[in-house]
Amino acid sequence: MTDPKETINIENVVASTGIGQELDLQSVAMDLEGADYDPEQFPGLVYRTQDPKSAALIFRSGKIVCTGAKSTDDVHESLRIVFDKLRELSIKVEDDPEIVVQNIVTSADLGRQLNLNAIAIGLGLENIEYEPEQFPGLVYRLDDPEVVALLFGSGKLVITGGKEPKDAEHAVDKITSRLEELGLLD
Amino acid sequence: MERATREREKEQREQAQTNDEAQQCPECNSANVITDQSERVCEDCGLVLEDDQIDHGPEWRAFNSSERDQKSRVGAPTTKTMHDKGLTTQIDWKDKDAYGRSLDAKKRNQMNRLRKWQERIRTKDAGERNLQFALSEIDRMASALGVPRSVREVASVIYRRALKEDLIRGRSIEGVATACLYAACRQEGIPRTLEEVTEVARIDQKEIGRTYRYVAQELSLEIQPTDPKEYLPRFASDLELSEEVIAKAREIIDTSAEQGLLSGKSPSGFAAAAIYAASLLCNEKKTQREVANVANVTEVTIRNRYQEQIEAMGFGV
Repeated sequence: MTDPKETINIENVVASTGIGQELDLQSVAMDLEGADYDPEQFPGLVYRTQDPKSAALIFRSGKIVCTGAKSTDDVHESLRIVFDKLRELSIKVEDDPEIVVQNIVTSADLGRQLNLNAIAIGLGLENIEYEPEQFPGLVYRLDDPEVVALLFGSGKLVITGGKEPKDAEHAVDKITSRLEELGLLD
Repeated sequence: MERATREREKEQREQAQTNDEAQQCPECNSANVITDQSERVCEDCGLVLEDDQIDHGPEWRAFNSSERDQKSRVGAPTTKTMHDKGLTTQIDWKDKDAYGRSLDAKKRNQMNRLRKWQERIRTKDAGERNLQFALSEIDRMASALGVPRSVREVASVIYRRALKEDLIRGRSIEGVATACLYAACRQEGIPRTLEEVTEVARIDQKEIGRTYRYVAQELSLEIQPTDPKEYLPRFASDLELSEEVIAKAREIIDTSAEQGLLSGKSPSGFAAAAIYAASLLCNEKKTQREVANVANVTEVTIRNRYQEQIEAMGFGV
């Protein structure tokens, strides 16, 4: 059987950074080609990069959030593009603003059906949240690494809240070993 | 009703007794502590742990048959569903005196004023007034849902716990009250779906679900995921189906849940499909729409679950 760790796939990386100065989004939106700015809908300016595919949300305070990237490298790459674009508009951006990864969303597959009812009771009802009436997934909050895992009946799972790609691997390891301990993986 | 109360009291006393047995004697550490009438005594060293206990039971002395029929020391049992445990006086609206005669206009006015002030004085501060409001909300919704008294009692206890742990702050009273009722229904094994609760509540379903999850987590109520089988009797009686159908539906749920079909599926939809399938198998066919209406799920859900269940049962279609 394949190792569930091999099925880990990063779905989304969210990172934040800033250029340390306030921006006049109206004029940036005019000058920056392909920028979406609709202050009535969303207070930030949305700039989408195609390669790598991601969206940068630029706020009036000069803070920038990059979301939709598939890896941490992609985040850096697309933010570099954003910074270059801003420099082209003669907005001063220091050479290497600090980029902080805020959240990584990963998916994985345990490769077999799960009995969520049994897992809910096995893992202890105080640690998990399983409300099939409200959401089909079982929510399992891990302390170390500090991530939240959503387990589904199909055996697929989503891990969110990690700051590093390694967090997801640890989480999958931990979940599989816990489930094996309980004899719920067979 | 009265009998039920008595039985409950008896149960409580028995429970208290088992608690006693679990206790140790502080003198000789023996676990042999018994309750003898109104004293708690260590059987080994004779130490009296507690005397002059309050006897919550009914009066046992009776001198004639009518007294024997109503052996009781006090009025109604205390209840958590009232903010004051039902201890304060309520002046009724009948405007009749002790002989059943109607009061004259002057007296009626006086009673009206008394009643008004009695209502105002019953609660001593805002906290109590809020509690009174929340508990009456629980009572109102419980009546509308037609759940038994015991569930109201449990819901009130959960609400009081939430209040004590300061979980209400930042949330609406209605929201927490509704969530407590929903939790109580599930805890007592007569679940109502969120949709049903929402129908009688003053807040939307999302808020109820969110508050419920919060309350359940914070108070570690440890409520197990709803068992679809708990819906069966209610759905079946709403559809006027026989006991045979319930038994069949139970079998379908057990078999298909064993094969992991229940994971992540809404229990009410699952139960509805099982009822539908069982009604077909027992020749008491109900249409998908009829079942869907009773269970508050869509026909599509029933069809999908039904297909899976039939396959799991090995009938094929």
